Amino acid sequence: MKNYLVKSVALAMTAFTIASCSDNDEPTVDPVETATLKEAVTNTSNNIIINTYSNLNQKAAALHTAVTQLSTSLTLENLTKAKNAWMETRVYWEQSEGFLYGPVDTEGIDPAMDTWPVDVTAMNDILNSSSPITVATLENNNEARGFHLIEFLLWGENGTKTVDQLTPRQLELLKAAAQDLHNNTQKLHNGWIASAGNFVDNFINPSPNAYPSYTVVLEEITEGLIIIADEVANGKIEDPLNSEGSTPNAELEESRFSNNSKTDFIDNMRSIQNIYLGTANGVGNGKGLSTLVAAKNPTLDAKIKNAISDAIMGLDAIPGTFSNAIFNNRNQVKAAQVKVNTLHTVLQAELKPFVVNNLK
Amino acid sequence: MIFSLKRFKKVVFSLTIIFLLQSCGDDNEYVDITEDNFPDLTERLYAGGKTTIFSNTSNGYSTPAPNLSGSELSRHLEGDIDFESIFVTAPANINSGLGPIFNNSSCISCHPRDGRAAHPQNIQARSGLLLRTSLPGNGSNENPITVNGFGLQIQNQAIFNFQPEAEYTVQYQEIAEKLADGTIVYLRKPIFNVTNTYIPFPENALLSPRIAPPVFGLGLLELISDTDLINSQDINDSNGDGISGKLNYVWNPLTQQTEIGKFGWKANTPNLLIQCAAAYVEDMGITNSVFPFETGHDQSNGNDHLNDDAELSDEILHNAVFYTRTLAVPAPRNINDKDVKKGAKLFADLQCATCHTPKQQTGFSEISALSFQTFYPYTDQLLHDMGEGLADNRPDFLANGREWKTRPLWGIGLTFVVNNHTHFLHDGRARNITEAILWHGGEAENAKQNFKKLSKEDREALLKFINSL
Repeated sequence: MKNYLVKSVALAMTAFTIASCSDNDEPTVDPVETATLKEAVTNTSNNIIINTYSNLNQKAAALHTAVTQLSTSLTLENLTKAKNAWMETRVYWEQSEGFLYGPVDTEGIDPAMDTWPVDVTAMNDILNSSSPITVATLENNNEARGFHLIEFLLWGENGTKTVDQLTPRQLELLKAAAQDLHNNTQKLHNGWIASAGNFVDNFINPSPNAYPSYTVVLEEITEGLIIIADEVANGKIEDPLNSEGSTPNAELEESRFSNNSKTDFIDNMRSIQNIYLGTANGVGNGKGLSTLVAAKNPTLDAKIKNAISDAIMGLDAIPGTFSNAIFNNRNQVKAAQVKVNTLHTVLQAELKPFVVNNLK
Repeated sequence: MIFSLKRFKKVVFSLTIIFLLQSCGDDNEYVDITEDNFPDLTERLYAGGKTTIFSNTSNGYSTPAPNLSGSELSRHLEGDIDFESIFVTAPANINSGLGPIFNNSSCISCHPRDGRAAHPQNIQARSGLLLRTSLPGNGSNENPITVNGFGLQIQNQAIFNFQPEAEYTVQYQEIAEKLADGTIVYLRKPIFNVTNTYIPFPENALLSPRIAPPVFGLGLLELISDTDLINSQDINDSNGDGISGKLNYVWNPLTQQTEIGKFGWKANTPNLLIQCAAAYVEDMGITNSVFPFETGHDQSNGNDHLNDDAELSDEILHNAVFYTRTLAVPAPRNINDKDVKKGAKLFADLQCATCHTPKQQTGFSEISALSFQTFYPYTDQLLHDMGEGLADNRPDFLANGREWKTRPLWGIGLTFVVNNHTHFLHDGRARNITEAILWHGGEAENAKQNFKKLSKEDREALLKFINSL
């Protein structure tokens, strides 16, 4: 808990620094009272979605640097730095999972970055071979790349990896995997920005052949929130908690090597929060779904905000690691799951109809 | 009064047009376009019967049918997870068994968002396109004849330490089509080949590209009765409309008999169970109870020498099949738009609707959500000669090298929003609907020629109608 708070403060400061260096929209503290659909979509696209991908891309570059440093100088300090760089990159990836539409999906980037489970047999075969390990090696072995492969190598299967257990071949694989991950975060960012793939144009300028109206764009954005809430409650939590009936199975947990799952889930909720509020880590002008909802139905707006906070608090209240909690603190895990499901229900049953029927 | 006067004028006007057109020859008789005879599209709104959803978003193909019962929905959602599961190299505790040779590692990777794969940008990378192969002629069940060492499908990927059967290559020919209004449309014809094969590839072996199509609404298509299908055949074109249409009859490895072919670009698969089981083993290298041997088990590059078959449980296989049976069908949009209705009229008048039959119905199903539904897929599910341009020259049971099964058109207008491309046809060669229409030939040659004669305005109305689906 303490650790988590410290990390949030550090992140907030980082975001503030980034925001103050850019001449984009000023960080807004006062609540915005009105917004047009276009303003909400534009702010959400540029300042939340693209900005999250920009942060992800920067953190992935830093992870590559940290891994390179580790391979040059094998010290505990450098291993810790690499692990931290992984976790910081992971924050923005999880904060992007509230919008798994567009290039992340259509360009096949999600499976290249976040493939799960790790293909351990393929990884070992690669390590045990004598051929050089390059980005191309990983592109040809799609199941042995991405976040979870890097996580496996940095933490070890039981989370107990020590510096002297890192072999030269593992370091070679780590470097290639970090480079490959960064290539993909770059591709993802490029896919959205106006100066490259320009997917953002589909959102900001509706047209009959793509999204016909801002309302439909907002429907897409809302469905993205519904999908991740569902995924966290009924996939990411449910599968390891109740594998085969009601038996827990930690192998079905997504970030189990690093014990980062709880943070992953919380960042998924923050992804929902960022999109809903139209502001993330101090960036964004606050024109988002919340503004549009509050103007017509303040009760619903408050309900959604509370449901998001409750879900975050519920997840944060799970004691210890998620791997341990699914065995030893099942009730708290279930309580958090209920809160995420409550959020899912309000988004699905109330926000979506509101968007479809009231935002024209 | 004013209304009826207008109405009267319009009738006179259209009669004049008809007269003028008829006097110029009967080529253009389809241009009898007045608002009065635009079809009412209201009944087609429920494109999937009670399985219809109303969506404009990228989730338009991926939503469970809204009329599933609680237990059906649970099963669908389990199947959803299975459809997305990524397989890894055996041995593994979870999702074990990828390859040794394969085309891709999950269902969803070829059917992105349950939709349509793009024509690959990089032909050597994993994609939703694969090449089938066979030797000329037909086997004892009219089946395609396997190529020794390659089977019936070229797996161009392999797990580490294994060699794929081949790499794919592609070259493009450009073809120009001129429309009546002077517009020139450039078509690309991909010509596929294989290179770096692990053993020599026979010179006479045939190749046929196949791209992964959308998977929603398939349970309804599967349930069109054999009687309806048989009755809609016109093998010898006895009605003289230039369009025949026949069923494929294919081998079912489970029942060990010949049955009507319903799925696949040439209708070479009898049902969704066989379709899914074959995709698991051929596309992903996942053995299952229907196909218990690795696709390359008798090849030097394709046997993993593990005693782990079947790699897939029957529960997962059947859940995945259930999933493909029970995805909702997106409703058409803008059905009251004047241009859309005009386009619907043109669609019928140009004889598009002769093969892309709007309406079908299901009989009884154990899945109550699919029982006795009237739905609008815009396909007759029959094979048609599509001409030389589209021919793969590779027979597949009764389908000859020029014949393809009519593709359903439902949901086609959401392709861009769901998949961020508009590539169509069996190898994704068409980059938009206009190109797809211009590739039609054979039995559809007249329809294509009629399309080319349309004014820009009418052409756009027709496209607007197709995009409303």
